[in-house]
Amino acid sequence: MAVVRRAEPVDLALPRADEARAVTRGLLRRWLPIGIGLSMAVLMIVVAAAAPLIAPLSPSAQYSDSVLKGPGVIERHLLGTDEFGRDILSRIIWGARVSLEVGLASVLMAFVLGVPLGIVAGVSGGRVETLIMRCADMLMAFPTLLLALIIVAALGGSLLNEIMAIGIALTPNFLRLARSLTLTIREQDYILAARALGSGQLRVMARHVFPNTLYALVVVATLYIATAIRTEASLSFLGLGIPPPTPSWGNILSEGRQYIKCCPWITTFSGLAIMVAVLAFNLVGDALRDLLDPRLKGE
Amino acid sequence: MLQYIARRLLVAIPMLLGAMSIVFFAMRVLPGDPCVAMMGDQATGGALADCSKNLGLDRPLLVQYADYLWRSVRFDFGNSFRQGYPVSDYISRMFPHTFILVMAAAVVAALVGIPIGIVSALKRRNPLIDYPLRIIALLGLSMPVFWLGILLLIVFSLRFDLFPLIGGGDLDGVLSMIRSGEVFTEPRDFLAGVGDVLHHLTLPALALGFTLAATVSRLSRSAMLEVISQDYIRTARAKGQRERLVVYKHALRNMLVPLLTIIGIFVAIALTGTVLTETVFTRPGLGKMLVDAIGARDYPLAQGAITVFTMIIITVNLVVDMLYAVVDPRITYR
Repeated sequence: MAVVRRAEPVDLALPRADEARAVTRGLLRRWLPIGIGLSMAVLMIVVAAAAPLIAPLSPSAQYSDSVLKGPGVIERHLLGTDEFGRDILSRIIWGARVSLEVGLASVLMAFVLGVPLGIVAGVSGGRVETLIMRCADMLMAFPTLLLALIIVAALGGSLLNEIMAIGIALTPNFLRLARSLTLTIREQDYILAARALGSGQLRVMARHVFPNTLYALVVVATLYIATAIRTEASLSFLGLGIPPPTPSWGNILSEGRQYIKCCPWITTFSGLAIMVAVLAFNLVGDALRDLLDPRLKGE
Repeated sequence: MLQYIARRLLVAIPMLLGAMSIVFFAMRVLPGDPCVAMMGDQATGGALADCSKNLGLDRPLLVQYADYLWRSVRFDFGNSFRQGYPVSDYISRMFPHTFILVMAAAVVAALVGIPIGIVSALKRRNPLIDYPLRIIALLGLSMPVFWLGILLLIVFSLRFDLFPLIGGGDLDGVLSMIRSGEVFTEPRDFLAGVGDVLHHLTLPALALGFTLAATVSRLSRSAMLEVISQDYIRTARAKGQRERLVVYKHALRNMLVPLLTIIGIFVAIALTGTVLTETVFTRPGLGKMLVDAIGARDYPLAQGAITVFTMIIITVNLVVDMLYAVVDPRITYR
């Protein structure tokens, strides 16, 4: 007589510990970069906003007894001093204001100028689109720094001019992205439905196209904040940004260049500040892109 | 194909014209008078008026503009306000310095960036490999080239005294030896000259190359990711081909098309990078010439440099577009 043995039940589910580990790993993978980036960006914003409270000394105060002193040589100057005896830490803290103001305001300006034009080009088509896109192509022939350099050289170095120069230089990027997103969106059924219900061109653009382009544009905007901060530092480094004595990371680095032989801390710390700020917004932008739009992943 | 090339050329011409117009008018609203910059604040009104007349700045703006466009077509960018020599001579002298810097940086970027991008794409499920590589790429992307340049100078020039602090070596001498044929009669001198140029080139090329490698690695990672998700890769794996062969024989070859796009982006970023790199290393070149010209309000020199930059970028993008058809026969042009 055949003996029918019952097979031992096989537990297909992952053991609990492994399951928990996998979930934790997944969460970490997804949220760790954005967490690190966001904390760095928030820290930078707090430092910039609270500069008068946080900075140990005035950024323009000159201490004749502590000219070109290294980090910690004199207790009150944690990161050392420059050629005028000014405190490097205080200047870097105040410099965060300039970088952040230029970074945020120029991207906002590029967004406000570029997105409506891009949507109009995408929805209208025809000659309007050709005209707008050829103008954008003309500006795109210049790399961002080169275009910003031409504009800021023409306008002169000041905070507002730097914002305008970088804002204009970044505008074609937003314009092109908004247009390409619009081209996809305008073929969707809900746009047809909106038109069938009697919505005019303006309403379609404002109520249906714009909100649907927003998530991709916000992701890209975060990445362009990093570009704007780097461009501002580059312009200041070339001597075309905000003129001294107002501290900006680029001009601290530029001034410190003459003293790299004796006093490398001036360039080292200011450069580090630029890198950390750019890294923060790159991390947030990258993570947001992976999180919100898997189609853009790795682009 | 020919029709496509003609159409792309027709689009490129107004683009270049527009870009040149932007440069011309931007230069004309530059604050400060070039004559004051040349002669100083103490110059008399009469001297300044003479200077303006000599430089042609007293003519109506539109006449100056038409003159600039007509001369540029013939690669005549006028004479430098400060030195008096033809701008095209300056450009042809500076161009080789910038060219070798971009080429050397491209080699560094390709050698570092492409392998990092490929490995990071192939090992993307292994966080121990993918994550550090992505972090390196992100750091490279966030590090300003002028800061990396200064750090390299501090360590390798000042601390260990291995490389020169400033200058670009005697490239003009090397080039003239090639032109005159002395390269065959005086090979030792020639090699010494080449060695000197390479000695001066190493740190700038490393600084620019590493920052570019970050961009190259990201672009090649996404190019590789796109290729390995294709059906023919799955087929190659399904028929039992070894992974190494799948990568070398199928994936790498097909990466060529997306990699071509990188060249267009690369040239634009590299040329921007030369402006900063040449300034940090006090190297002669188009980038440094541009910054100096803007500082000195030398319109013709600045215009010439920017026009050449723009021409290079537009031409490279045009050539890249055309190369697509050669590399990938699937791409057809309407």
